[in-house]
Amino acid sequence: MRRREFGAGATAALLAATGCGAPEDAGVDDGGVDDSAVEGRGSRPGSPIVLTLLSHYASEPLKSALQSAVDAWNATHRRVKVRTTAVKFTDLLTTYMVRQAAGQGADILHPYCLWTGQLVQAGVLRPAPPEAVRRIRRDFSPAAVTASSVHGTVYGYPTEVQTYALFYNRRLLRAAGYSGPPRTWRELEEAAYRTARRDRHGNTLVQGFGLSRFDDSTVVGQTLALLAARGGSLLTPDGRWTAIDSAAGRDVFDLERRLIDRGASDTGSTLPKAFPSGQVAMAISAGWWTAVLRGLMGRAYRDVGVAPVPGLAAGDRGTLATGFLLGVNSRCRHPEAAWEFLRWLNAVPVPARARGGDNGRGRDGDRGGDSGRQVSVTRMSALQVSVGSMTGRADDMRALLGPGSGSDPNLGPFLDALRYADPEPNGPRAQRVKSLLRKNIETVWTGRRSVDEALRLATRQLNQELGR
Amino acid sequence: MPRIRRRFPWMSYALVGIGAVVTLVPFLDMLLTSFKGPGEYGRLPYRFLPEAFDLANYRDAIRQLNLPLLFRNSVIATGLVTGSILMTSSLAGYALAKLRFPGRDLIFRLVLSTMMFPPFIFFIPHFLILVHWPGAGGNDLLGRGGAGLTVSLAALVMPFLVSGFGIFLMRQFMISIPDEMLEAARIDGAGEFTVWWRIVMPQTKPVAVTLALLTFVNAWNEYIWALLVATANPRLMTLPVGIQMLQSYLDPDRTVPVMMAGLVLSILPILLLFLILQKHYIRGVMLSGLK
Amino acid sequence: MARCGRAGRGTARRGTAPRSAASSGTATAGRGPARAAQRRQTVIAYLFLTPTLLFFAVFLALPLLFAVLLAQSRWAGFNLADIEPVGLDNFTDLFAQGSTFLTPILTNTLLYAIGTVVIALSGSVVIANCINNLRFQGVWRTLYFLPIVTTVVAVGNVWKYMYEPGGLVNGALNALGLPSVAFLQDPDTALPSVVAVQAWASVGTAILILTAGLKSIPETYYEAAELDGADQFTIFWRITLPLLRPSLLFVCITQFITGLQSFALINVMTGDGGPGDATNVAALEIYQQAFTYGDWGVAGAAAFVLFLVIALITMAQLWLFRRKGEDA
Repeated sequence: MRRREFGAGATAALLAATGCGAPEDAGVDDGGVDDSAVEGRGSRPGSPIVLTLLSHYASEPLKSALQSAVDAWNATHRRVKVRTTAVKFTDLLTTYMVRQAAGQGADILHPYCLWTGQLVQAGVLRPAPPEAVRRIRRDFSPAAVTASSVHGTVYGYPTEVQTYALFYNRRLLRAAGYSGPPRTWRELEEAAYRTARRDRHGNTLVQGFGLSRFDDSTVVGQTLALLAARGGSLLTPDGRWTAIDSAAGRDVFDLERRLIDRGASDTGSTLPKAFPSGQVAMAISAGWWTAVLRGLMGRAYRDVGVAPVPGLAAGDRGTLATGFLLGVNSRCRHPEAAWEFLRWLNAVPVPARARGGDNGRGRDGDRGGDSGRQVSVTRMSALQVSVGSMTGRADDMRALLGPGSGSDPNLGPFLDALRYADPEPNGPRAQRVKSLLRKNIETVWTGRRSVDEALRLATRQLNQELGR
Repeated sequence: MPRIRRRFPWMSYALVGIGAVVTLVPFLDMLLTSFKGPGEYGRLPYRFLPEAFDLANYRDAIRQLNLPLLFRNSVIATGLVTGSILMTSSLAGYALAKLRFPGRDLIFRLVLSTMMFPPFIFFIPHFLILVHWPGAGGNDLLGRGGAGLTVSLAALVMPFLVSGFGIFLMRQFMISIPDEMLEAARIDGAGEFTVWWRIVMPQTKPVAVTLALLTFVNAWNEYIWALLVATANPRLMTLPVGIQMLQSYLDPDRTVPVMMAGLVLSILPILLLFLILQKHYIRGVMLSGLK
Repeated sequence: MARCGRAGRGTARRGTAPRSAASSGTATAGRGPARAAQRRQTVIAYLFLTPTLLFFAVFLALPLLFAVLLAQSRWAGFNLADIEPVGLDNFTDLFAQGSTFLTPILTNTLLYAIGTVVIALSGSVVIANCINNLRFQGVWRTLYFLPIVTTVVAVGNVWKYMYEPGGLVNGALNALGLPSVAFLQDPDTALPSVVAVQAWASVGTAILILTAGLKSIPETYYEAAELDGADQFTIFWRITLPLLRPSLLFVCITQFITGLQSFALINVMTGDGGPGDATNVAALEIYQQAFTYGDWGVAGAAAFVLFLVIALITMAQLWLFRRKGEDA
């Protein structure tokens, strides 16, 4: 799951505030550096408890969105202060592991749900207290709760849920003679071939269907979404073996391979750059990408449409849901304070204005701020929607994104997908499984292995990893 | 002593010239890309020269990088490592070259053998040793409970404070210092420390400069360990790591030139230092080939 | 003069040391009345060596011990008390069927090292020999040395972006009418592309060392050959190369070892060793297993295996070259 990271220097920029901090300073829980410069440490009596929060919200608009929520807490709570720190998503797991190993883990963590099993096994996450568990089970969608749990134990509030859908460029499809998005695999393939164009050097000018090979999450996410739409799944129901070597798995691998072989996909191009430049007709990605595209494309965003991931037959529905959870470090010295902050953020409804999809930067003038109406949702729900994401609180989402909310209509398909999406498996070796799967998918894309070989090898490697 | 060929060695000039172009072009591309404006990088067809020499990328690099912190960490860490290696190498080198004591050969062989071990074996143990350093960073005396030395700049430098190669280099050089000179000083009543500091050290200046330069460049450019330490504690970020962190994803048009600007700024000091002192550095590399 | 004065101060500080005994003792150790002086020198020697020995104890011996222990443990967590001995399980996992460690990771590691050595060595032999014929030798050598003093972050990123579709290399290809190549995205070209950069970055060192070797070849050999009417190529092949063998051996071994254990460049250029495992090498895998997945045991075992591989290859190389040297 790639995050919004343009302006990624933000990670380094965060350092700016504490340039003067003495390096010998032995602040044990100082997981990183923050914007709010110098603040007292929690150990002295009378001074406030300072909780650190480490997320991947390193760049705009996520950074400001989270910071303003935290600022609101800090303004109203004198005893417990929260400081945010952030790293790029690609560095997040390594950062959690290394900082935990170094005894400098942050108090509040915001991991990708895929890692829950690994972080629990490594003793990083603390189980949620009973009253939090009750609230989480009651208010959040089952897929989100499952993703935040290991063996039935809930480890945190599911803050963010992402579902995958088909992005398409209306202009490019229209130019090729299509009035709407493809509804079946056959239509998708046909449209991909008819929209693709190259120059005389063989450089791609337009890809019919863009495959992102940026990281594990984009490579695997789009593939698993296609797999689910085709009725397949990555693991067997008991989660002990992989089920990738099935008719559905074979179909997905075959489809991706054909798209590349026939010139509709160019895996050498950078999808997140090519799509907003109008060089890609279709691609599968998660809901957060809507906000990114709106930011990058300006008025050209009107060309972007979103539809459910096509299945074999029109009307077949299936996709992947991924997410993040907010949990507390097992080495946090003030767990009650941390859980209280999380409750305030994730479980207390407050009045908000339904204006979904506006990321607050006011880039597109055609959506006025006055179109919203008053609703009552949690701060996290408002936060996620403001940056084009969703939480697993279905009621909040309906209030914020449903008809009449004035939100980006492109978010509709992602909201609908909450009903039928499969959560991503999160066992202790899930990240390993995912990167092994990614590598096998890429060997198919690049033609290094045949689909059969790749499926066999992936099965062997994944099963070995799952058995560890 | 260059041998003077009878003919003009056009073949040699051609080959060396082509190689020089291949060597220099990436540096030029770095420099020129650092001036490219938004949307200019990555546009097809490729253009070597920027449309305008825009300094905005340098402003952005400086703003996003917090260069003062990165420079400070890099300078302190490099200085400590260089100083320590010079000190320990010359002390140990002197003992191994000019003093007689039981165990000398064994220790010399140990020093030689340390050069055999590849650094990757040590990453994990070094990291854990620093984390569990007794009494540091909130640890108890058994090294538990805290962050150990990973809260301080010590984490960046500790694993590099002594160099087997440095000791070897110093010893080889000191062996050639005539014993009579040391004898004379000892007869005058100088202690070994004085002999080392007043007589041996001044003579080893050429090799010390070389060793310092080699060490300095290596320490300045250290990446993998520095990356690990900075991951544990971003306040300990050094220049190379900080610039790598500029890597972005969604807007390469903009980020690549900014990153190139950061790279130009970070390699400039070391390139200047190298160009000024290249004689000593090159001698060091040649010496390392003669062991 | 000044030196004597300073030495005198040293004496004053030392007080009334038996100076004649001390000096005769060091000059001709073991000749008789110098036991005390000898003992004193031993103490001083160990005093001088203390920082070094302490360092080696803490940062060499202890880590080695720990590495051996770790390779035989499973440790999912961060508490030292949780380390659980599992014997050779980690090693069997590494070599289990379907494991990526043997192929492609170890194979890549070897290809990476071999490719680097071959390119850097052949390039540097030619260039060093050519430079030797030219004027301004120092300038040329300095120029070729620039990549060495440049941080791997700069080298890796510059080349990474030169390889991109909109970068310099593809720009040059297109200008020549050739199609673009997805150098780092295509698994067939990814490893060679990184190898080329590693070689590019290490040619400078090789040139310097070979130059030192070239300078030590006696001029008379060349004069004799030229009198015999040998052409340039024959001279290079029959005289230069054989006499350069010690330097070649040194370059070969050091570059090969460097190639086997380096992963910084790969980390910068392809991140986690992609596409697929096309550029994944052992040291990078160790790093990721340990610090991303927290599997210290498997990482430790992999490090152990790589270390053995390096030791074996080094010994084989030394043996091979030594034998050839005797033949010559």
